[in-house]
Amino acid sequence: MIDFEEELKKFHPSLEVEDAEEAIYNQDLTDMADLLIKMLDKTKTEEE
Amino acid sequence: MICYKCGCRLSEHDFCTGCGADVGLYKRIMFMSNRFYNDGLEKATVRDLSGAIVSLRQSLKFNKNNIEARNLLGLVYFEMGEVVSALGEWVISKNLRPQKNIADDYIGMIQSNQARLDTINQTIKKYNQALLYCYQDSLDLAVIQLKKVLSYNPKYVCAHQLLALLYIMSEEWEKAHRELEKCRQIDTNNTTTLRYLKEVEHMLMPEEAAKGASPKKAVKENVVRYQSGNETIIQPVNMKESRGVSTLLNLGIGVLIGVALACFLILPGQIQNAKADINSQLRVVSEQSDAKTATIDEQEQTIQKLTDEKEQLSEELSKYQGTDGTLKATDGLMMAVSAYLENPEDIETIAAYLEALDEEEEGEEGSQNKTEAFTALYEDLVEDLREKLVTYYYNAGYASYRADDFEGAIPNLTRAYQYDQTNGDALYNLANSYRRSGDNDKAKELYAEVIDQFPGTEKANRSETYLAEINNAE
Repeated sequence: MIDFEEELKKFHPSLEVEDAEEAIYNQDLTDMADLLIKMLDKTKTEEE
Repeated sequence: MICYKCGCRLSEHDFCTGCGADVGLYKRIMFMSNRFYNDGLEKATVRDLSGAIVSLRQSLKFNKNNIEARNLLGLVYFEMGEVVSALGEWVISKNLRPQKNIADDYIGMIQSNQARLDTINQTIKKYNQALLYCYQDSLDLAVIQLKKVLSYNPKYVCAHQLLALLYIMSEEWEKAHRELEKCRQIDTNNTTTLRYLKEVEHMLMPEEAAKGASPKKAVKENVVRYQSGNETIIQPVNMKESRGVSTLLNLGIGVLIGVALACFLILPGQIQNAKADINSQLRVVSEQSDAKTATIDEQEQTIQKLTDEKEQLSEELSKYQGTDGTLKATDGLMMAVSAYLENPEDIETIAAYLEALDEEEEGEEGSQNKTEAFTALYEDLVEDLREKLVTYYYNAGYASYRADDFEGAIPNLTRAYQYDQTNGDALYNLANSYRRSGDNDKAKELYAEVIDQFPGTEKANRSETYLAEINNAE
């Protein structure tokens, strides 16, 4: 049986157009490639 | 694929031919990203939008610069009605690759139409408001708001799902099913949609869910199901309608229902229309009547005004008639003067005109309207003729007296004494005429005047005698 209250919690307010800019700026764009490069740089620095 | 260190194009080797950097792991990451992108593309192709979103997000976690994956993610968001999220992905994509990027076209498509952008924003606000209503337990308002949202943006999956959830809570299973079907048409493999759908189908057909597949076949043998728009029609097969008597019975019932409808629905409407017509006609007649009443009032006022004017004119006319009388008197005087100028010795004619003038004066209440010139002329004429007039009237009066014609004597003697107050004989004979005609009162008055005006004369002595006789006789 569906629990209305629990289901309702899964719905979140949508982003409005005015908030889009802020959302874009706050988005974390770090990816696996960035992490790899950082790790390689760090290893190289430690070796030196 | 390019080297993350020097930007050189990478070959099939695990190192960069330009700078010698180890790119084995890096290439694997790129491959993984591409693999997820392919998976997302495949899912999007079969409208598994939720699955596509998961794969594409995964792809971007491996490689944020995977522009195709990001653009596709934006498209998928847009298809699900999440316009702002789509715009966000496309804006980032454009920033990462400013040139030759299809995201530019997508952004332009949305931004070029301001009205559409406003509608999108309004839709999102209404959805958020509906969600707020849900939190506040105003479920009816939330349903209304969500219906508006979906009329603007029919592909908004979240709104469909929320509306379906509200219908489920109010146990409107058919409506919930309809909404969830719409959701499934947009996003075929959405977990939430499928979960709700399972619940709804369980409530709609509980025996089917319990018995499993074999009863379904049995049902399928008895019914025919087909889709008409958003509705699923379930029609029984091999149903034969009874004919004959039942047809006639149905026909009769139909006629009765028709007559009843005519009586209860159509007739009142007709009566109402007739009443409305009569009322409108009555209103028109009433207006016309009012207008005529106003005209009549106006006419009456005009008549009253004319009557007043007539009375005023009549008064003026009577004044003029008075003036006319003066003119007539003037004419009489002119005639007398004319006769005098023509023949001064014709005292009889002149006396006749003056008598007529005197009679008119007496009839017109004196000489109040006469001018000074008229009076002066009249007095001058009388002064010139006074002696002759006295002689004429005295002689005529005395002759009549002697002939016992007292009716003729009295006016002549009266005029003789009137023109000459010193003529005692005229007064004495006038008194005798009244006495002998039987008017003792007047005779007594005149005898008294003779005694008073002419004392010590023969006439006064005789007057005393006659006065005593009259008094003794009374």
